[in-house]
Amino acid sequence: MSSSPTASETDDFAAAFTNAVHGGLDKILGQSGTAAVLSHLKMTDNLPDPAEFHKQLLALFGAKGTISLERAIVKDLIRRLKWALDLLSVDDTFDFSAIVRSIQTKAKK
Amino acid sequence: MTAKKRKVTKPPIRVDAPGELRGTGPSDLAETRIATVLGLKQFISAPIGTLLIKGLAGTGKTTVALEILKAAGEGKGAYLSSRVPKELLETHIPAMKKTIEQQDFLDIRLEDMTSVLDLVMQLTKDKKVKTIVFDSWDGLAKELDPKERLRAEKTLMAVANNSGAQFIFVSEEPGATTIDYLVDGIVEVVRAEEHDRALREFIIHKLRGTKIPQHKYIFTLLEGKFTFFGPYAIPDYSKLNRFVQRPDIGESYSFGSGALDRLFGGIIPGSTMAIEYDEHVPYPALRAIELPPIINFLSMGRSAILLPLPGANDERTRSILAKSSGETAVNKRLRILNVLRTSDIKTADLPKNATPKEIHEIVTNETARLREESANKSVLLVKSISALENLFASDLDSLLEVTSQEIITLQQSHDADILFLPKDSPIRSRILSMSSSYATLFVKDGTVLIYGVKPHTGIYALQHLEDPTSPSLTQLV
Repeated sequence: MSSSPTASETDDFAAAFTNAVHGGLDKILGQSGTAAVLSHLKMTDNLPDPAEFHKQLLALFGAKGTISLERAIVKDLIRRLKWALDLLSVDDTFDFSAIVRSIQTKAKK
Repeated sequence: MTAKKRKVTKPPIRVDAPGELRGTGPSDLAETRIATVLGLKQFISAPIGTLLIKGLAGTGKTTVALEILKAAGEGKGAYLSSRVPKELLETHIPAMKKTIEQQDFLDIRLEDMTSVLDLVMQLTKDKKVKTIVFDSWDGLAKELDPKERLRAEKTLMAVANNSGAQFIFVSEEPGATTIDYLVDGIVEVVRAEEHDRALREFIIHKLRGTKIPQHKYIFTLLEGKFTFFGPYAIPDYSKLNRFVQRPDIGESYSFGSGALDRLFGGIIPGSTMAIEYDEHVPYPALRAIELPPIINFLSMGRSAILLPLPGANDERTRSILAKSSGETAVNKRLRILNVLRTSDIKTADLPKNATPKEIHEIVTNETARLREESANKSVLLVKSISALENLFASDLDSLLEVTSQEIITLQQSHDADILFLPKDSPIRSRILSMSSSYATLFVKDGTVLIYGVKPHTGIYALQHLEDPTSPSLTQLV
């Protein structure tokens, strides 16, 4: 697993998202923590559905922990897509599922 | 005299008192469980979900952790062992076998960090597990590089915080590590040495949201259980129990206390016992050694003479003795001779500047008189050297001369002598060398401790658990 964005990953949103989940979690939880969380959530192979992923993270880490992890994932994803980080405004309500969907839509254009 | 191990019939502070820790309600909170075990229940005002127990090998970390695990309640705790298998742990700490059996024991010696973290997430998922012990945490964490270790620790803190479970990390790493900054509380267990005797202390370095009245406490692992000692509590003399007479132990007189008899084996007739104490020892603790032999002597129809410690309240002493031994016995067979009180000097027809020899004469005459009243013609003499030193500060040589004369004379009789000797006494070494037995009292971390030098005994914590006049002694192991 790699946490630095590559050109090929940005072409493939699914791959980018999967890598961003790994990269974002890794930044906070470390490799062991990330592997444990993904194993615990049974998401080691499959691309997580953002809404379901959010729900499960919430159960494991609570609201505060979840928002930190999701911000790290989105930040990593945006870096992989080589976009500006404007999407991540701290003051706005952070809706992980909506942001991921929005990034996905923009990436297709 | 032979030192004997005392049998503890009543633990000093029960950490597993029924109704205190189990069930639901406020006592079921994680912070309350930790605080109860550490004796800080009343001071907790914020959650303590994570605790680090530090200390070198053999200091008692695992026992403390298991006590906290036990407090979680049956089936509500998990013990993750990165050191020893279950069978070996049960052999090491047999008193905790039941606790180990009642909780989840997970052998993680061959597991990596990912598996352990996943395991913890599974354990806390349904919120049934209330306490998880990682013993030892460094056994696992040392396999990781520093950054990875910190992140794994942060993961655990987040899981603990969200699940409401309590995580106890056991560590043998002496210095501060990353986890020190993340946990809510840090307790260190230390094995120290006092007067060639080993004792244990636990030091509270941090306990978030808790007013810590005292940072260091003495504890013992007697019978494999963690028992800590709070500061010495002055007994309530209004709750005097009926004194139960203790017969002679063979040729020796009883101390009037089972605990003292077990420790020193009784008082040999004709012998002198010195009780050395420092300035920190509270008077009621000394009274717990001073009064039981007098009460027992009086209750057996024998006589006693008491030269009280300076500052002692004679009326109070008399009242305690009268309650325990009866007014008649006290009036007839006890003489409290306060050498610092002018009235006693007047009563004894002593000149204002009485010499040690003159005081000695009074004691000798009183001893002779009381011997006649005594059932077996013996008299117990309990004397404060400090009181005599204060009176004869300018003539200590004469005092020493008279005292040594008394000790020699006593050896020929069936009387017994107990001398209370301050540690800083200028005639200390001479008195101790003349005494046939000798014990020392001192205070550490607020706890009154006692040990025998002649004969050599272990070290014991002195409390009043059963009767205010009688000492309860718990061995420090």
